[in-house]
This record gives sequence, structure tokens and C-alpha cells, in this order.
Amino acid sequence: MKRLLAAFALHLALIPGLAGVAHAAAPTGQIGAMLAKPDQLCGTFDQTKRLAGMKKPLVSTGRFCVVAGKGVLWRTLKPFPNTLRLKRDEIVHLQGDRVAMRLDARQEPTVRMINGVLFSLLSGDLGQLDSLFEVDGSVSGDSWKVALKARNAALARAIGAISLEGGAYVRSIQMVEDSGDRTEIVFSNIKTGPGAVLPEEAAQL
Amino acid sequence: MHPRRLALAWAFIVCLLVGHNAWLWIGQRIAPDTDILALLPIEKQDPVLQQSFTHMVDSAQQRVVVLVGARDWAAAGRAADAYRTALAQADARAVLAFDAIGDDTQANWLASLQPHATLLIGSAQERQLHTHTAQVWADDALARLYNAFSGPRLGAFRDDPFGLFAGWAQERAGETPVRPRDGRLFVAGEGREYVLLTYTLTRPAFSLDAQDAAVPLLDGAAAAARRAVPDADVISAGVVLHAAAAGRQASREIHTIGVGSVLGIVLLTWLTFRSLRPIGLTLLAIGVGFLGALSVCWLLFGQIHLLTLVFGASLIGVAQDYGIYFLCHRLRADPALDSPALLRRLLPGLGLTLLAAVIGYLGLALTPFPGLRHMAVFSALGLVFAWLTVVCWFPMLISARTLKAGPLARHYRALVAHWPRFSRTPLSLGVLLALAAISVAGWSQLKTNDDIRSLQSSPAQLVQDQIKLGKLLDAPSPVQYYLVRGDSNEQVLQREEALKRRLDPLIGAGHLAGYQALSNWVPSQQAQAARLALVEAKLLAVGGPLSLLADAIEEGPEWAAATAAHLRSQGAPMRVDAFLHSAAAAPWRHLWLGEIAAHSQPAAGKTVASIVAVRGLRYASLPVLARAADGLAGTQWVDKVGGISQVLGSYRANMGWVVLGAYLVVFAVLLPRYRRRTWRVLAPTALASVLTIALLGLFGQPFQLFHVLALMLLLGVGVDYGIFMQEDAAEGDDAAWLAVALSAASTILGFGLLALSGTPALRAFGLTMLLGAALVWLFAPAFSVTKEGKHATPV
Repeated sequence: MKRLLAAFALHLALIPGLAGVAHAAAPTGQIGAMLAKPDQLCGTFDQTKRLAGMKKPLVSTGRFCVVAGKGVLWRTLKPFPNTLRLKRDEIVHLQGDRVAMRLDARQEPTVRMINGVLFSLLSGDLGQLDSLFEVDGSVSGDSWKVALKARNAALARAIGAISLEGGAYVRSIQMVEDSGDRTEIVFSNIKTGPGAVLPEEAAQL
Repeated sequence: MHPRRLALAWAFIVCLLVGHNAWLWIGQRIAPDTDILALLPIEKQDPVLQQSFTHMVDSAQQRVVVLVGARDWAAAGRAADAYRTALAQADARAVLAFDAIGDDTQANWLASLQPHATLLIGSAQERQLHTHTAQVWADDALARLYNAFSGPRLGAFRDDPFGLFAGWAQERAGETPVRPRDGRLFVAGEGREYVLLTYTLTRPAFSLDAQDAAVPLLDGAAAAARRAVPDADVISAGVVLHAAAAGRQASREIHTIGVGSVLGIVLLTWLTFRSLRPIGLTLLAIGVGFLGALSVCWLLFGQIHLLTLVFGASLIGVAQDYGIYFLCHRLRADPALDSPALLRRLLPGLGLTLLAAVIGYLGLALTPFPGLRHMAVFSALGLVFAWLTVVCWFPMLISARTLKAGPLARHYRALVAHWPRFSRTPLSLGVLLALAAISVAGWSQLKTNDDIRSLQSSPAQLVQDQIKLGKLLDAPSPVQYYLVRGDSNEQVLQREEALKRRLDPLIGAGHLAGYQALSNWVPSQQAQAARLALVEAKLLAVGGPLSLLADAIEEGPEWAAATAAHLRSQGAPMRVDAFLHSAAAAPWRHLWLGEIAAHSQPAAGKTVASIVAVRGLRYASLPVLARAADGLAGTQWVDKVGGISQVLGSYRANMGWVVLGAYLVVFAVLLPRYRRRTWRVLAPTALASVLTIALLGLFGQPFQLFHVLALMLLLGVGVDYGIFMQEDAAEGDDAAWLAVALSAASTILGFGLLALSGTPALRAFGLTMLLGAALVWLFAPAFSVTKEGKHATPV
């Protein structure tokens, strides 16, 4: 069966960033208690990418929303607009109105799994994370720091090292890939509650 | 030769046979051939086709696939762990080896393809390269560049700026719904999540000890999984499960049908002879016949097919007649007449029965089918050996005092004396007309059915599991696929690509879900060159998407040139041989048959062959898929299920003609001795056969090979009865009546009871023997000549 079913690489590996949006950490219980876990959460992000073979860093900014039961919206606004939408059964990448990429659970079974892991992360359920990553964290005062190491070799190779920092919410994410590409995302202006999601964002989710 | 010396000489030969058989089965551990396609005529056998079957079927045969599912992944994992633990004990591991998923293999497979990444483009994106504008590609790349979660990505950005390699990998991943997850294999469906476990049997799936050992272990493991998670469901599939189910059914039947028939025969013999020694002796003759036939067949052919053995087992029906004939005469003969002298008197009749049967069976040898030839030789030899055992040993082992007439033997005479005889009276003709009417009615309703699936007798649960598992795993069919051949690797890959261009629209039309082919992984040199040219023209050319991208990120033409060079450096040509040695090829290696030596045409040069496997095919779409290969050079649709049905059908037709021919030959052999009475020897059997087929038609039984095989056996036993009746008519004693009655009753008990079997093939064989033997028994006395009749003008 091995050959029929394929030792097909960890499919998570194809979507490296996703598994890395870990809002959570360990000591799991303590950090879980510190997280606010709102139903709706929006904010702005500043992302800096340093890629192998490029002189200048790529800087982008935008907005993001996490809505329980609906999904995640990741809107890059500068230097040019494009939107990524994650729902339970699909991942859609919009370039303006054009769908640049769509992955749904029927064609790619891991979509639901990846999104499921992501959502449970965002709601503070750290049990899921533990099965994929070794979580090494520390808490000092009202902030925490966590380093994630993939348990699976293939996943580790694709994602590299991830570290998170936060308090009631995640403040920053850092990813260092084996290929030398590095990404740093800093979150700010976080709003929760009914008014957090803008009307145009609510329409897209 | 003196009878005693003859008996000793035969004992010596039998010792040799026993020794040879012991050496074959215990020393050499020979196993009967089970591939039904080995029975096809030699000229129709195709070594490449044959090898492709072996490739696809043999390994699948050893596998046990299990899905352990629950409502959520964590519960499924707990149930799967309990299942695995139950099978992790040493005694279980000796039977079922767990197929671990190699973590390292997974990690390495992409690395081995990286040097060729630029060549690997999915079919959708290959089409888009022709249609999308440079700006669209540049925008896509920019989005991918800036976005943190930009969708499928492999390696660093500069390795795959346009996401082509990632798209290709995504397309390949789509060939199976199974995904590694947390160190397990994961499948989802019908609202449940499943862990996939696969095991490989360490012993042949068809061996009894594998079945005996594996099935309880698997049942125990399933129970353990349900103990750990009460609502877990365990779906398992494997050839061994079907084989074990068939075995269980067979042993159940041995306990009911077998015990019934043995008891019946023992009772019958006791009531006739007041001794059980006749059974032992009859079995002895049959046993020697079987061993002798097997020894000589093995020496002649170097192999033996299972179907030959099955048909050979039916020899018992004919072989017992010789012994019974002698025993019945011994019972009736004057005690003063010693056994060797009695045998000498019976020898002409006995010799003739053997000759007729052997000649009848040898008719099978004239057909072009190797299986039928083997059966012919096996059967003829078996009869000769059984006959010689009777002739050489029985006079020594049975004396006049051994047997006493039992109640059955005493009263049977009276019954037969009043049996109606066939003559030219209006009543006889009326009966004959009625029988003719029944025959016409029955034959007109007769339908044939050679579909192998009608012989399927697996329990419904097992079949359901198999279907469910097939759906969840979306695995390709191991018995229906395309076989592609050419004179070089390149030609085969190009032919695969031509076939795939035909299949793509069929996927859209829902005839199949997809296909697996090595050319998905290693494009032909032609396709590799075309893709490189396409990438060069549409993406890398100065002023193209790569330049636009460089401008957008203010990296300038140097970056564009460096990235283009990097992408070109990832376009190293791919070769089949190198790919097959890489870790990525592990799941697909079976698709490549490689170079195959064609023994039939050594001058024709080398033949390279591969398999294109199809997933999610619908039964109704088989003709569409078969047509898809039409007109494509070196490409052939293979349907093993259909192929087996075809073999069964052509065997049925050919065997039917052989049965007819055998009647003519036997008639010719008997003619010199019986002259104008010859037709009386054959008439009961012929009439019984015609009526049996008619009754099958009236019962709505589809006519197939196993009915015809039974008719052949019926001819064998029926001719014996006819000869016995004609031989003894002159002496006017009733030994022949008794021999026919005993023989027919044993045949009905031994074979006819198979009509109760749950296995369709055996049921067909048994029903035919039940009806046929009973009818021959009824008809035989009606066609015998009474003492008076013989002196009157024979009809």
C-alpha cells in the first residue's frame, strides 16, 4: 500500500506560513490563560521579508481578522492590495477580484486539517499544536515567548524555526527557513468585539 | 504374469509414486499454479501482459489494508494505536508485518527533484503558460513574494517564483487522498477521520496457515480498537480475507455436505456388502490414480494448475466404477471361482470402460488450450493408474469369502426386474415425446453467463468493506489499466503522454477520477524540451514576467538575470533510470515494467513497457476507457476481470464441442464389440445430459463452464454404466445392476451433494451431476436388453 498511497510528503509542508501562525505557546496552560480568546479580532500587521539572493528587504503592511466560526482574512494593503481568505473547507487567494489560487478540502484533504489547527490555535486550544510541534516557551510578567520546532522532519525542513511573542494577543511572529528566507510579522492596533471587523471585511468573510 | 508377482510389481511402482509425491510436496514444496490466464492458448499469451499482471496483482495479493476511523482525529489515533499494539506482539509480527511510513523518505523526496524543478509543471499551469499575460504571472509572483501565507510553496522564493513546481507537486499530491499527519496516514470521508494502516503478509495469502493465523489476529486487533474507542469503525480489505472466507465456507461445507456424503456411502456399502473393506479399497484405487497422475504430469509439464487438480478430483467419480464393478461381481459370483479367474472374465468389459474414458478425455488434448490438455493427460493417467490398481491388487485383496450380500443387494434385484424397458410400444414413444418436449422447452430458455463476478461468493460484509475502502482511498484498480509499450524509454513516455491527452477530457466527463503514470513524474525528453522552451519564452525572456517582477521590487536586471540562470540550472534533464532510484519514485516504481525480454521474438529488439493506472473508474465507463486506447500505437487497455470471463467463456464453448466429439469417439471404440447394440450403451447418458441441460434452462440457471465439465464427467461414468449393463446382459446375472446402482448412488452422494454448496462453481458442478447421475441411473435399465430381448431382434 505504501507505494499506492504514496509516501507523499507532508502536505503541510506546502503551506509553510500557515502552521506557523501559532498564537500559542507553552507552558501551554499558563499562556492559554493569558490569551484573551475573543470571538472577533482584527488589527494591522507590518511584515518584513528578507529573501535569499535579494539585496533589499520586502516590506508590506495590511489588516487581518480572525472570526470564530468563520475564518481568517489576511489583507495586504501596501505595496499593492491582495487578500487571502481561509475558511473551514477552503483557502482562497484573491488578486483584486481575480481568484489567483483556490485550494479546497475536496481536492486537498489537508486544507481542513490545516485550517482546523489554525483556528484551534487562535481560540487558545493548544492541544492540537502539541501534536505537530515541540513547544518551548517562557512567561515573564504579562508577556510570553515561544519557540516552535516541528516534530516531523519534512515539516521542519519546509517551515524552519518559528518563534512567537505575545501577551493577551500575539504580538509578533518570526520564521527562519532552511532556504535562508526570513519573515518577521509585527501586529498592532488590535481591536476585539463587534466593531472590530470592517463592513468590507465582513462581506468577504 | 502370475497374479502375485503382478501385485508385487505394482506395489513397487506405487511406492515410487508415493516417494515422488512426498518429495514434490514436502521436499520441493510445490504449489499449484493459480493464474487462470495461464490456461489461455500459448499463442494468445503475451509475456509483457503476463508480467504486468504479476506486477499489479501479486504484490496487492499480500497486502492487508485497514482503516481505523472515529468521529475525530484524536479518537481515530487512539483506536489505531490500540489496533497496532494488538498486532505488535512477536507472534503477530511473524504473520503480519506493519508497513511503516518512512519519515526520512518523505523529507528527501522533494530534495531529489529540486535539480529538475523547472521541468516539472502541472498540466493546468502548462496550459496557462500559453494563455496568461506576462503581467498576470508577474502579479502572481509579487503576491507570492509579499504574502506570508501565499499558498503552496516549496523551498526558497527564488527556487520557484511563479509557483510552478509547487503547483506540480500539488497536482501529484492529488493522485491520492491519503496524507501523512502526525506520523500517521490520514484519510477523511463520510464525516469521519481515518488512520490508514497497511500490513504485508509474510506467508502466501492463499496458504491455509496464513489464513488461519492472520484472520483471528486481525479480528482481535479490531476488537482492541473498539475497546479503546467504542464508536470506532474498522474497515479492512485484503485477498487473504476473501481466501479465508472462502476457506471457512468450504470447511463448513465439508462438515455438512462432506460428512453427509461419507455417511451415506458408508451406509450404502455396509448394506450392500456387509463390510467396509470395499470403501477402503476403492479409496486406495482412487488415491493411487491421483498420485500417479500428479507424478507423471509434473514430470511432463513441470507444473500443475489448480483447475487441473479440481477437475482431476472429479476422476473419483469414474475411477470408483472399476472397483465397484469387480466387487459386485465378486459378491454375485460362485464362491468356487477364485478372484484372479473372476478378474480374467471381467477384463474385456473393464478394459473397454477404461479405453472409452481415456479416449474421451484425450479429446480434450486436441484443443489449443494448455489447461484442457493438462486436464486430459491428468485424467487419462489417473484412470489408468486407478484401473491398474484394481486389476493388480483387488484379486489378491478380495477373496470369495470377504463379502456377503447385505439387505440392499438382496432386494435390489426384485426392483430392477420390474423396471420398464424401452421398446416400440406407444407408451415408450409417448414418454420419449414428452421428454423431447421438455428438452426443447428447456433448451430454448437456456442462457449462458461467463462473467467471473457471477462466481463471486465472498460474504456481503467483506464486499461492502472493500467498496467503502476503495472509495475512501481512491486507489487505482489493480485489474484494469493501460499497458503501454515501445522500443525505448522515450517512446514509452511519449506514448503515455499521448494517452494522457486522450484521458484528460474523460476525467472532465466523469468517466474516471484520474490516472497515475510515470510520465507524470518524468516527462519524455520531447516534453522536457518543450517545457523548457515554454518557460524560457513566457517567463524568463527579457521584458517578460521575471523582468517585470524585478522592476516591481527594485532589484533590477542583475537580479532577473541571476534568478533566470538559477531557474535554468534547475532544468537538468530527467531520466527514467535515475528517477527510479530516487526516494520520490518509491510509490510509483510499480508502474514501470522496464525492459522485458520477449522470448517469442528475440530478433524484434527490446521491449520497454509501463502501466498507466486509473483511479475512480466507473463500471459503466469500462467500454469508454477501452476505446480510449484505440489507434494509439503500443497502447492497450487491460481488463483482467473481463479477460478471465473471456477465458471461461471460450473454455465453455470448446469444452462443449469436446464433449460432443467424445460421444462420437466412444461410439466408434465400442462399435466393434457391441455392433448394433452400441447405441444402447450411450443412449442413457446422452438422454440424461440433454435433459439435464434442459432442466438447468427451466430452473433459470445460466449455463457456464462448470456445467460442461460436469457433463464430461457424466459421460465418463455413464459410459461405464452402459458397458456394465451390456456386458452382463448375456450372463443374465444382476451384478451389473448392483454395480450401476452403487456407483451412481456414490456419485450422487459424492458430487451431487455439492449442489448444496455455497460456492457458485461447485454448486453448478454438483447440480449437473445430481440431475445427470440420477437420470442415467433411471434410464440405464430401460435401455438394457433382457435375456429374451437379446434373442429377439435388437432395436
